[in-house]
Amino acid sequence: MAQERFADVVERFTSGFNGAAAAVSPEVAKQWQEELERNVRRMTNLARLATAPEPRTGQTPRQEIYKRNKSRLYRYASSRRHRTPVLFVPNLGISRPYIFDLLPGGSFIEHMTREGFDFYLLDWGVFGPEDNDLTFEDCVTKILPRMAAKVLETSGTRELSVLGYCMGAPLSASFVASHPEIPVRNFINMAGPIDFSQIGLFGLWLDAKHFDVDRFVDTLGSVPADLVKAGFKLLKPTMDLSTNLNLWWNAWNDKYVEGFTALNKWANEYVAFPGEFFRQWVRDFYQGNKLFRGELVFGGRPVRLSSIRCPVFVVGAKEDYIAPPACVRALIDAVSSREKDYIELPGGHISLIAGRGAALHCWPKVSEWLAPRSGEAA
Amino acid sequence: MSDPTTQLFDTWKRQLEESTQAWSKMVSQMTPQAAPPDPVAFWRPVLNQGLENWARMFAQTPASPDLVSQWKQFLDQWIEAWSRVLGQTMNTEGFAQMMGRSLEQMLAAQAPAKKAGEQALDQMLMHLNLASRTQLTGVAKQIVELEERLERVEDGVQAILRRLDAKER
Repeated sequence: MAQERFADVVERFTSGFNGAAAAVSPEVAKQWQEELERNVRRMTNLARLATAPEPRTGQTPRQEIYKRNKSRLYRYASSRRHRTPVLFVPNLGISRPYIFDLLPGGSFIEHMTREGFDFYLLDWGVFGPEDNDLTFEDCVTKILPRMAAKVLETSGTRELSVLGYCMGAPLSASFVASHPEIPVRNFINMAGPIDFSQIGLFGLWLDAKHFDVDRFVDTLGSVPADLVKAGFKLLKPTMDLSTNLNLWWNAWNDKYVEGFTALNKWANEYVAFPGEFFRQWVRDFYQGNKLFRGELVFGGRPVRLSSIRCPVFVVGAKEDYIAPPACVRALIDAVSSREKDYIELPGGHISLIAGRGAALHCWPKVSEWLAPRSGEAA
Repeated sequence: MSDPTTQLFDTWKRQLEESTQAWSKMVSQMTPQAAPPDPVAFWRPVLNQGLENWARMFAQTPASPDLVSQWKQFLDQWIEAWSRVLGQTMNTEGFAQMMGRSLEQMLAAQAPAKKAGEQALDQMLMHLNLASRTQLTGVAKQIVELEERLERVEDGVQAILRRLDAKER
């Protein structure tokens, strides 16, 4: 049945294509000329793309205020209008954090500083074999408290807001939940998975039935960048195809090509995971869902999301296949905060935070939510 | 004898149908327990829609650059359809099992090779009177630990200073 319908369509198509050469109107001729010019620009830009130097990313002025092993804490220059500083915690491993400050005019960090926030970025760094013993627990109990203390010390305030993106959200949620002595005024989760029972494909692939994380880490020591890349590419195998098709389609547009070059540089720079970190991340989160179940104990302290009482803002992305909206939204029901908001925005995991869509939909929502909860700078 | 355009589309149609059958066969072999995803269900509406648009455009209007946009849309839909087919296939226990098995095999092959390679490299470096990778990693680890200890000392000093400061006031 279906085969016949397909044949009918082909038949209709081939008989419809009768080469009827209608007279080309001046308007159509003009359209063709424009298309031709567009193609010339495409070719020029694609040729330039092949030889262009690497784009300069991360141009918002910043100062390194603290370093510990590979991790750095940066403070960005801002015309500070809000008293409460923001500590931004991105993912550890996988990718570099300059995606948040990609290009002038297309940078989340630039947006936040322009909105008057005293903004701090925790760059976890690129780990080597000497860091294979670093665990998720170490990050929560040793690195994050120190970074938070440095933010408070440098900004001269008593409270701070914590903003976690992707894996940075479960990391910082674990930190906020287990360190009540750190005065966190607001907590924001952007595309950070919380309920791993709803995590999607990665959850299925990393299920203990199919994936022996101990054997994996014991054999490899760490998770090399190439394997991280393979995992993410496999998650959406058609991604490269559509990326290249869209590049060809938009190659006439200089602005698009500039953005593409920077994004492409970032998208091909994967970062390895320290072995023990990966073991704990997979075992306790993907396989055990222990954060959501309240079964984690870090540094002798229970990690219960219900102990988070500060205002919470959660942002999910509709087409996010790395952290699907349902697993991100779960934080809302898990915390005890009186003030908690959730929004679901168009786009995927990356386009939530970078690109034109992010500048339009996401960044203003985050700064508008945070501003009235951050007080005024003296 | 049919004209070249018809021949071209006949070939295209045959290729699509054969690849559909091959794909279905492959997927059903891969996941014997689960019902195989039906890729035809995804791409047939895409094909129908795309081809109908094209037929309509060729039949009714003189060719304009809109054709290129239509072609782009068609390709987008095509990729999206494939993405859904692959997504559906990869979201099965069968696929996860297959991945797990492949990874196991890779690890089984890699573990002895890695160990042997590391041992050979270490021995070679030792003969050249150079530090091995393991030794360098060990030194780096010690530096990391030292940094941690220093931080703890720093914390202790700060705490004492704060207490003294509070007492003086």
